[in-house]
Amino acid sequence: MEKDNSVKTMKSAKTLKTAREAGYFGKKMLTDAIKAQEEGHPIGWSMVSWWQGDFIAKAMGMHLVYPENYGAFCAAVRQAEPYLEIADSEGFPNNLCGYARNCLGFAKCLRDNNYVIPEGAPGGGLARPVLMLASGCACDARYKWFQSLGRYLNDVPVWNLEMPQTGVKEYYLPGNKEKNLRFIVAELREFVKFMENLLKKKLDYDKLHAMLDQALKTLNLAWQVDLLRRAVPSPMVSQDFWSVMIPHFYLPDDPEAYSFYERVYAEVKEKVDNGIGAIPNEKYRMMFSELPPWHSIGFFDELAKRYGIAMVMESWNYHAPTPMAEEELHGINDPLEIIARLTYHKWMEHNTVAREFDTAPGFFNAAYLRWAQEYKADGFFAHPLLSCRPATYTLMHTRNSLEEKLKVPGVVVPGDIIDLRVFNSDEGFSKVEAFVETMDHYRELRKEAGMAW
Amino acid sequence: MSADNKKGLAKAHEIYSNRGKYAREQKNQGKKIFGYFCCYPPIELLTALDIIPVRILGDMEQPITLADNCLPPVMCIFCRSAFDIGMKGQYDYFDGFVGAHACDGAERTSIIWSNYIKTPCNFHLDIPHTTHDAAVEFFKEQLEYFQKELEKSIGREITPDKLRSAIAAHNHQRALVRQIYELRKLDPPLITGTEMLTVLIATMGMSVQEGNLLIEEVLQEIKQRENVQEKKSRLLIWGSLIDNAAFTELIESSGLNIVIEDTAIGTRPYWHDIRDTKDPLLGIAEHYLKEVLCPRTFRDSGKNYEQDSEQRFSYLKDFAKYWKVDGVFANIIRNCDIHGYEVPVIKDYLNGLGIPVLVIEQDYSTASLESLRTRFQAFAETIAS
Repeated sequence: MEKDNSVKTMKSAKTLKTAREAGYFGKKMLTDAIKAQEEGHPIGWSMVSWWQGDFIAKAMGMHLVYPENYGAFCAAVRQAEPYLEIADSEGFPNNLCGYARNCLGFAKCLRDNNYVIPEGAPGGGLARPVLMLASGCACDARYKWFQSLGRYLNDVPVWNLEMPQTGVKEYYLPGNKEKNLRFIVAELREFVKFMENLLKKKLDYDKLHAMLDQALKTLNLAWQVDLLRRAVPSPMVSQDFWSVMIPHFYLPDDPEAYSFYERVYAEVKEKVDNGIGAIPNEKYRMMFSELPPWHSIGFFDELAKRYGIAMVMESWNYHAPTPMAEEELHGINDPLEIIARLTYHKWMEHNTVAREFDTAPGFFNAAYLRWAQEYKADGFFAHPLLSCRPATYTLMHTRNSLEEKLKVPGVVVPGDIIDLRVFNSDEGFSKVEAFVETMDHYRELRKEAGMAW
Repeated sequence: MSADNKKGLAKAHEIYSNRGKYAREQKNQGKKIFGYFCCYPPIELLTALDIIPVRILGDMEQPITLADNCLPPVMCIFCRSAFDIGMKGQYDYFDGFVGAHACDGAERTSIIWSNYIKTPCNFHLDIPHTTHDAAVEFFKEQLEYFQKELEKSIGREITPDKLRSAIAAHNHQRALVRQIYELRKLDPPLITGTEMLTVLIATMGMSVQEGNLLIEEVLQEIKQRENVQEKKSRLLIWGSLIDNAAFTELIESSGLNIVIEDTAIGTRPYWHDIRDTKDPLLGIAEHYLKEVLCPRTFRDSGKNYEQDSEQRFSYLKDFAKYWKVDGVFANIIRNCDIHGYEVPVIKDYLNGLGIPVLVIEQDYSTASLESLRTRFQAFAETIAS
């Protein structure tokens, strides 16, 4: 699998001690699944579903691994290219999602090796699944990819989770939110039936409830860390977040993830209390969107060093949501409905901002209008991704909205989550160098307009 | 000469070539015009309010300029093109805009559209991804909202009888289109793929009643024909839509006769009728979710790969059999994920039936079409031999 390539990549040093420890969780997911398979437990390959399907599968004794995360992992250790090439040679268009192509290449190797993980697979590889848990939320690739994996995982069923993606105006139509929620719950019930039939066992609702309680605690703590990041100078930057996010995003039900977040919180809080910034010379505060170039996170260390840029907040969809209001959960004891409300809340919570600013959509877009004010952002770093397109469709619109409504300018530096060849760091530095003056100019404009930062 | 003075294929060509002009003429006569994205918004609801539904298309002949500021270049080029010509004011006659969550590209473009191109009425229709009972019920509820918004905008209610009558008119149109497809079973077919495209696009900018009259004229005209074209290898087109006759002309001048298209401007909107249900919205919801066979809708997987492919693509086997298909052109507009993921799967399936497949990813631009000619010629030669 080893392949020498001459493309320049950059690893980040990370500013938090806890961020440097977080890689443990990614490896833990992979190795736990392999161990579980050896012990005869069922394995599921799951898309990120914003916790919609995870707890149900886990409460039924299934061990989940996340091929999207595996793609990021392979890219970070620069071992994705051989899998991408296999996917290309199988006839999949080379502009499909990089994570998907990485996974399709891996799955072919797995099949060709009689479903024994090939030696040298990055991180130990993905154990053979009995289920592929897809999601219609966020992007089409996340069910089309699993569907096409049938070529290599011949008899593994795919279940597709449903999540409505209502427009902002439509969200506020009388009764629509409740109808959306009812649909999600109905589909979750079907999913439970499907799982019970697949695994020949009943779902333990008490266990599910306990996992959900733990998960809500972890997500709440992750959100509190986000609140601390509003401080000036910023105590934690995106380079840290991309590592720290793994436990809350993939394993919020794991008590170990909660303990980890307690340490993250303590470390970040200490920096805030003592006015210590993540970077020593913070001059500009920027928001980043969408997924980063995993192979070159060090690019942002260099931006900090050269221009004093702190990436103070980033990509909306990877963050824990704000805790749900008490009335949202009042009297609701059915864990399936709590899950439905959690995921739906994550996707719809910024509709209030979208409505306030007369912009759409609420997801992928409106959060940045809120954060620009709360995090005192000077600029927006848009990173359109060649092979993760749906996440980037709204980027230019978000850039326009921030500039028009809040006088926060944006810079666009294209790249890719996996493909090293697409990201040109030198071009990125040139663009940002010029953009620094733009941020200075807009600071003056905000000042003239009487804005708070 | 205006479209009014022409009949049949000539009229279809006139309207196809001047969609905006025709729509503006209708608007000047007091008609309401609504634009809609893809083949998922139920146009029966628009017809029930005497609104003319105009399918939003891109323009392969125009370079994308204004869209670049709002949609990233990595996005589906068809969606960017449609948005671009919208930004250039070429859809400024819309009284309403109906966006749809057909695929990611259509969904995000629809939503972003509403930020930049304002119309008196705007609705974004969320469409579930599965065909489960709960999904049909949810979709029906969304249609109820859509109906209410339309009624509010027009100031009139849609009665169940009105809706039934609109469904009947559109079902009639579906039947008429299928009649044309029947005439393409002949060898050589009585209508070219290019003519078919112009007829379908023309009707996608007319009231259903006018459209039905036009198709009836076309049917009458082509039934009189004898050997309108020479016998050539017979091609099925599967995949992303084609909305420009320059593309079909190129294919048909490369040694191939297009006999059937499994695309969004082909069989997909027309192949099945809407059932007459007690609640007409239920029939509409079931039809659009279950019977419009775009791969954007996830159908529960079969027991294994073979069974899954059979469940999803067996209709192509029927098309191939009854239209005597010699080869399939899998057309992928670059960055169309919905069809892109299916490429090896559809090749496996069709090759398993002994049908050769030509896969081309193209850039939705007439400027880059000519370079594809040699590929079609080579494919024609291969399947002819």
